Amino acid sequence: MLNDVTFGQYYPADSFVHRLDPRFKLLALIGFIVLLFVANNFYSLAACAIMLIITVIAARVPVGSVLRSIKGIIFILVFTGILNIFFHSGQTVYWQWGILKVTLEGIIFTVFLMFRLFFLVMASSILTLTTTPVSLTDGIESLLKPLTLIKFPVHELALIMSIALRFIPTLIDETNRIISAQKARGADFESGNIFKRIRAMVPILIPLLISAFRRAEELGDAMDARCYSGSKNRTKYKKLRFGWRDLVAFLLIGALIAGVVLLNLYCFDICPQIYRFIRVY
Amino acid sequence: MENIIEAQNLKYSYSGQEGCAIKDVSFTVARGEFISVIGHNGSGKSTLARLINGLLEPDGGKLTVLGMDVCDGKNAVEVRKHVGVVFQNPDNQMVASIVEDDIAFGPENIGVEREEIGKRIDWALSAVGMEQYRHSTPARLSGGQKQRIAVAGVLAIKPDVLILDESTAMLDPKGRREVIEVVRRLNREEGMTVILITHFMEEALLAERTIVMNRGEIALSGTPEEIFKRGDALETFNLSLPRISVICKNLRAAGMEIADVLKPEELALEILKNLNNRGIYGGQSSFSPPAQPQTRGDWDIDIKNLAFTYSKKSPFATRALNGVNLSICDGEFFGIIGHTGSGKSTLVQHLNALIKLPQAEKKYRKPKVKKGRPAPVLPSITVGKFDLADKKTDFKALRASVGMVFQYPEYQLFAETVFADVAFGLKNFNKKLSDAETEQAVKNSLEIVGLNYEEVKDKSPFDLSGGQKRRVAIAGVIVTRPHILILDEPAAGLDPKGKKEIMELLHKLHREWCKTVIIVSHDMDEVAENCTRVAVISGGEVFACDSPANLFTRASELSALGLDVPLTAKISTYLGQNGIIIRGACTVKEFSDKVIEIYEGGKNA
Repeated sequence: MLNDVTFGQYYPADSFVHRLDPRFKLLALIGFIVLLFVANNFYSLAACAIMLIITVIAARVPVGSVLRSIKGIIFILVFTGILNIFFHSGQTVYWQWGILKVTLEGIIFTVFLMFRLFFLVMASSILTLTTTPVSLTDGIESLLKPLTLIKFPVHELALIMSIALRFIPTLIDETNRIISAQKARGADFESGNIFKRIRAMVPILIPLLISAFRRAEELGDAMDARCYSGSKNRTKYKKLRFGWRDLVAFLLIGALIAGVVLLNLYCFDICPQIYRFIRVY
Repeated sequence: MENIIEAQNLKYSYSGQEGCAIKDVSFTVARGEFISVIGHNGSGKSTLARLINGLLEPDGGKLTVLGMDVCDGKNAVEVRKHVGVVFQNPDNQMVASIVEDDIAFGPENIGVEREEIGKRIDWALSAVGMEQYRHSTPARLSGGQKQRIAVAGVLAIKPDVLILDESTAMLDPKGRREVIEVVRRLNREEGMTVILITHFMEEALLAERTIVMNRGEIALSGTPEEIFKRGDALETFNLSLPRISVICKNLRAAGMEIADVLKPEELALEILKNLNNRGIYGGQSSFSPPAQPQTRGDWDIDIKNLAFTYSKKSPFATRALNGVNLSICDGEFFGIIGHTGSGKSTLVQHLNALIKLPQAEKKYRKPKVKKGRPAPVLPSITVGKFDLADKKTDFKALRASVGMVFQYPEYQLFAETVFADVAFGLKNFNKKLSDAETEQAVKNSLEIVGLNYEEVKDKSPFDLSGGQKRRVAIAGVIVTRPHILILDEPAAGLDPKGKKEIMELLHKLHREWCKTVIIVSHDMDEVAENCTRVAVISGGEVFACDSPANLFTRASELSALGLDVPLTAKISTYLGQNGIIIRGACTVKEFSDKVIEIYEGGKNA
């Protein structure tokens, strides 16, 4: 059942984007998302799209796997799409029934929103495709570091994340083994109604839970034995460093921000050309 | 020499458990010593390790490490800097997903400077011979490699004492050799004090001093030679003699003068000395060629061209099987050996369609064959009358007839009572069974695995001892009376006595319950002593399939594959180089008999 789960999305390659500092990638993603929502016309959105295409090329990841990431949010896309088409107000009304109406503005706005969400998901998937979960954790820990000042347990949080990542493959293996063992005893996980199927999970979940507790206990002992005593007086071996690549990428992002801001200022309407075109006819 | 650990009248008992885990234990360990600790399950060996490391606090007695009182909680971290422990399960000791980060964990904890940590990682990795894996992820390493990383993680703290708490129990012979080699080198070259806690008598022999634990006390202490001389005493402590000591004993009983030696080459020399004294400088034991391949019956297994790849079409694709052809006859006690990752588990999971052949998948469509190209070779498996390449085969009925006991089957127990757990499979396969029939079947299967039905049926399976749990798990598989029973490493992780009992149980099942028994193992001695035929799997292919007697005459080829050879084959090889040919002796008894036969032959001549 879980045979094909290769852990995470990471696509191993040695590209420009792969070698960027994870902190920079995280910040760049946040910045990109903000830009997507700042962009208020199709020109600035197109600028974002160009940036995205450049990144995909520089990341040397298969375009298919970036596009496939859309699958996960298709439901949300359709849902918000329907909502916006029927409820968005506008002047050029094509169809109306009670409070539901389809307007030109509504359609354009929906298309616009779709693109925003598309780009958002694609950008996030580029991050996870090019960054190992481990360096992502390192990045998050490093970015959250200032929070230690307000006594936020950043180190503990990072350790929990890192241990969770470390045990995901182990527990997937374990789950597969238990599933096989119970299947060999005639367990059937694939037929019957939903309640039957949930009940059929019990022989998997209980051994898995027990094993997780056993592992946790042993890990605790092993950590104690290796002198773990919390974050006090602890040093850190790994240091993240900004490199020339990060500088180049930073300049590109800067150019994008400038571009979007300028386009926003000069093309105020969401897509003036289309408006004019459609109004004329 | 300076005493690094001193223990006086140590006592410890776990809360909620009757009796003491450790009672009145006193010993000292000198700097640079290599000590092995053996003892049955629950004898207190692991408790001892945890006490020395300060993970547990003794109830009474005195324990000092480098003069520091371990009982004083304030010293805990300081003590752990000097005493490192490597535990049993390599998977449960790692905190990070990258080797170097994991090794850095210990030094980071004690506040070592960044540059120094880097140096320590270099040193620790080279000490365990894993330099090229610095940036690997542990999930992709073998058991032995993972355990060496765990050793490196402890070494990076620069301890004075290294304790291995059954650290080799879950490894295959190759992994075990790797870890033991590393530890011996550390002891020899770096002067590291080593305490090796183990179930494997062969490993215990390597130490300078052996401590035997029994019911929380130190029963014996001395050099391995002294300890293993006292064979009978060991057996009363629920320990087995190493196989080599048994041979020495047998030969002595026949009147030969054999000193207590612990290495195969030494024993071969001893035997040669005896034979030479009688004027025997060459000779051959009688050799009856092993029985012809088993006769075929109704439940034969035939595997042809079996290939399998994990995570196909992903960057992580790994080929597990590479064109396996194998036939197993009805009624055999068959062994499948190979080291971890050789594909043996993948192979047996095909036999009850846990892994289906591609043609049996619902989505399967016949591939189009281009003109002029040969048609692709399709794998095929038949088990009795079941054709596993056919979509229409009743796979549930197949699974009822081919029982499969996985590695560490006790980890798959889940029900509230032993009865419910054993009945689980029965009810899955036959929903119409009456309560009385169910009860009778559960009773029979619990009794054949050697448990008292009335006593255990209402207990929670989690309240049983380790050995009992494994028996319940086996009962839960055989309750459907399968024709073929497959067991993956049935004796893994048990102490010597438990191992012996499980093998006896399997022979009993073979006689009375299931016609064919197939065991998957990496223990050569186990396979050599028990199986009628053995298939050696290596790199996803069948390297050889023969009777153990024939197979183990090819000792050097097996070693080249990284597999161990049974002890008897090792000694036979040495003897053969000196003109004494012994063939077809797999068990310790057969071997002793054949040596004695040559020896007696010399007397008559």
